[in-house]
Amino acid sequence: MLQNREEGAGNLNSLEALEILREAAENPARQATQWQEEHGGKVIGFLLSDVPEELIHAAGFLPYAVNAEEGKLEFADAHLQTWACSFSRNALAVALQDKISFLDGLIIPQTCDTTRMLLGIWKHVRPLPLMENYRLPRQVDRPSAGAYLYGELERIKKRLEEFRGKKIEEGALKNSIALYNHNRQLLRQLYGIQVEAPQVLSSKDLFKIIKAAMVMPREKLNQLLRQLFAVLKEEKECFTRASRHQLVISGTLLEPLELLDFINEKGGVVVADDLKNGFRYLEADVAANGDPLEALVQRQLKRMPAAFYEIREKRRAEYLVKLAREKEAGGVIFLHLKFCEPENYDYYDNMQAMEKAGIPAIRIETAYGGIPLGQLQTRVHAFIEMLGGEDAVR
Amino acid sequence: MPWQTAELMKQLMADYYAQGAEAKEKGIPVAWVTAVSPVEIIYAAGLFPFYPENFGAVASARKLADKFSIVAEAKGYAHDLCAYSRCGIGDAHSQEHPLGEIVKPDLLLCCNTQCGSLSKWFEVAGRFYHAPYFLLDAPQVGMELDELTTRYYVAQLQELIAFLEDYTGKKFDYDRLREVMGYANEACRLWNEILDTAAMKPAPFGFFDACFHMAPIVTWRGTPQAVDYYRKLKQELEERIKNKVYAIENERYKLYFDHIPLWPKMRWFSDICASHHALVAVSQYTHSWAYSFDLDRPLESLAENYTEEFVNRVFEHRIQRKIKLMQKYDVDGFMLFSNRSCKPNAFGLYDKKNIISKLTGLPGVVFEADMSDLRFFSEAHIMAKLEPFFEQLESA
Ligand code: SF4
Ligand code: SF4
Repeated sequence: MLQNREEGAGNLNSLEALEILREAAENPARQATQWQEEHGGKVIGFLLSDVPEELIHAAGFLPYAVNAEEGKLEFADAHLQTWACSFSRNALAVALQDKISFLDGLIIPQTCDTTRMLLGIWKHVRPLPLMENYRLPRQVDRPSAGAYLYGELERIKKRLEEFRGKKIEEGALKNSIALYNHNRQLLRQLYGIQVEAPQVLSSKDLFKIIKAAMVMPREKLNQLLRQLFAVLKEEKECFTRASRHQLVISGTLLEPLELLDFINEKGGVVVADDLKNGFRYLEADVAANGDPLEALVQRQLKRMPAAFYEIREKRRAEYLVKLAREKEAGGVIFLHLKFCEPENYDYYDNMQAMEKAGIPAIRIETAYGGIPLGQLQTRVHAFIEMLGGEDAVR
Repeated sequence: MPWQTAELMKQLMADYYAQGAEAKEKGIPVAWVTAVSPVEIIYAAGLFPFYPENFGAVASARKLADKFSIVAEAKGYAHDLCAYSRCGIGDAHSQEHPLGEIVKPDLLLCCNTQCGSLSKWFEVAGRFYHAPYFLLDAPQVGMELDELTTRYYVAQLQELIAFLEDYTGKKFDYDRLREVMGYANEACRLWNEILDTAAMKPAPFGFFDACFHMAPIVTWRGTPQAVDYYRKLKQELEERIKNKVYAIENERYKLYFDHIPLWPKMRWFSDICASHHALVAVSQYTHSWAYSFDLDRPLESLAENYTEEFVNRVFEHRIQRKIKLMQKYDVDGFMLFSNRSCKPNAFGLYDKKNIISKLTGLPGVVFEADMSDLRFFSEAHIMAKLEPFFEQLESA
């Protein structure tokens, strides 16, 4: 893996790029404060997932995902019940600990009942100049959804314009869309390298890069990703694709990232996922031509399925079976973030679908805020061993 | 003192469940609907609406929720999901049906104005029973109802009507819709007049009475039966007022309660309040069914009434609404139930309590439990919260 590769390809640039990205994932706030110092601009926070960052970027603000910081969950206890999911508790705790006090605004997408309630509490405990819900439609099967979403995006755009004191020009929005498309494309390419050669880019590093991608100025990010990709691509050629345990991870959010080490340790590799802080973040590009708002609408309506709502034409369980087959996965790990209701309601049907398809699957419960890693490791290892162990990889 | 209408209620609810069974025999499609959804459309389309939430509430009141839940949990549904859904899902996977088997859906109509649990539960049920599922999506409404939301909702009602026309093969009857909405208006009007009597000092009627008499406004809304029921209840109430029959003895205080009762412990809870001469007079819960439809603009009016439901409003609006109800009923304190089953109502209550106390000067209390599941019930915890609250109330 990368740490011991100094004398390998030896390209300092790529190593530096990776170091910078890792550092950004571990110390995300620095990205924002530094940008503020350099540009004097405003930072708009958002929660996962599906927030149209392109709009925020086109307004000249830095979109910043409240996702990578680790908070002390107890800080949220006086405001949010302990039986709220640890993702939302963590986000609120981080705000209450003043770890993200550089934010000028916050947009919360309403993906579940928890996110539907969170903004009100947040407004009360840590008010910010711009605070908006993103009321994304919870059905995408009928024409009404698109017309509504167009209006909702217009509303958010207007709000950003008011805050900025200036209109967002169509050209600027198109540029932001192009930038983000490129950004996603590069991330997908890196994902591909991780799949083919996790010795070159470990699963954990990949997911760290995704974390970094959510907070970094995206221009700088693209530069780093390009450098990294150029070198890793070459390096990858030195490895013949080893046979590995190919796994799909499905769930709301991947946490803790150590899980990926446990997978790699046993000769496993993540070939696909549908996580909000994973592939869902890179998956969907926006059409470059035509009305940019309409393009954003279409992207949202056509995204991969998640637990927020069922899509008639793309049912999640069937989608996951298809995905696992296409990617020739030997097994599926369902990561269940404790207290995440939407995810939990899907679990039984997802599991049934896997069973019917003859794809081994396991459910692992996780949470933000530190869970016993030993147990997690044991479970992941046991699952991979069940699939055939280190030696009998396909 | 027992209500004379209690007999009628029993009859009405027995009829309701019998109708469900009969619908199946007669080939009338059964549509699952959510408590706060435009059932008026379902009646107008000639379908039988079934309320699985009511099944959950009845199971809970009979202390069966834990039992159903354990079956659901064995399938991987966690005990932190809404207990109503655990009852429904548990029944679906059970061999035994202590409450009689839930009426199976031919189609499902969910409006998510209340919560996202219902929409997920209905998705699950749609897959389980192989029935088509239709979601009426209600975006959260801010301080004012916005045109974007109403337009979206109206467009969806039109889509629903097209979907039902397709399903039944019959043209949708708008005259019938107006008739049904007229019945709903009348029942809602009577229901709210009944609720209002809780403001009298002393009052003949309180929240726990409302919980008992609530089933018809949920399950029979839109029919003449509901109107008839509430007319009779109102008459009985007027008699009681004349005869000075009151909800509790020596009423000294009035309280506001949020929001669903602890179904399996309702008696226990109401006795505690009564022993302190406190009448729980009002709750946003029982006031949910206060629709007033404009029959000249049926779809717009349905959209306005259903999206403006309190659960679908933002934090600040919900605080205002609670305070308005507290003022209207002139309460002396308030109790907020942090209900594990109901995240959209529980989250935010800690701060709401502080804000409301600050704004109104009223004492308040928040306690934790589950509306259905006794495994999350701790008498010691609740008493530890309630005792200081009553002391505060009595010393004020
Ligand atoms: S993790 Fe689940 S419950 Fe938590 S905010 Fe996200 S969707 Fe909602
Ligand atoms: S109790 Fe709450 S979560 Fe459950 S169905 Fe009712 S509104 Fe939804």
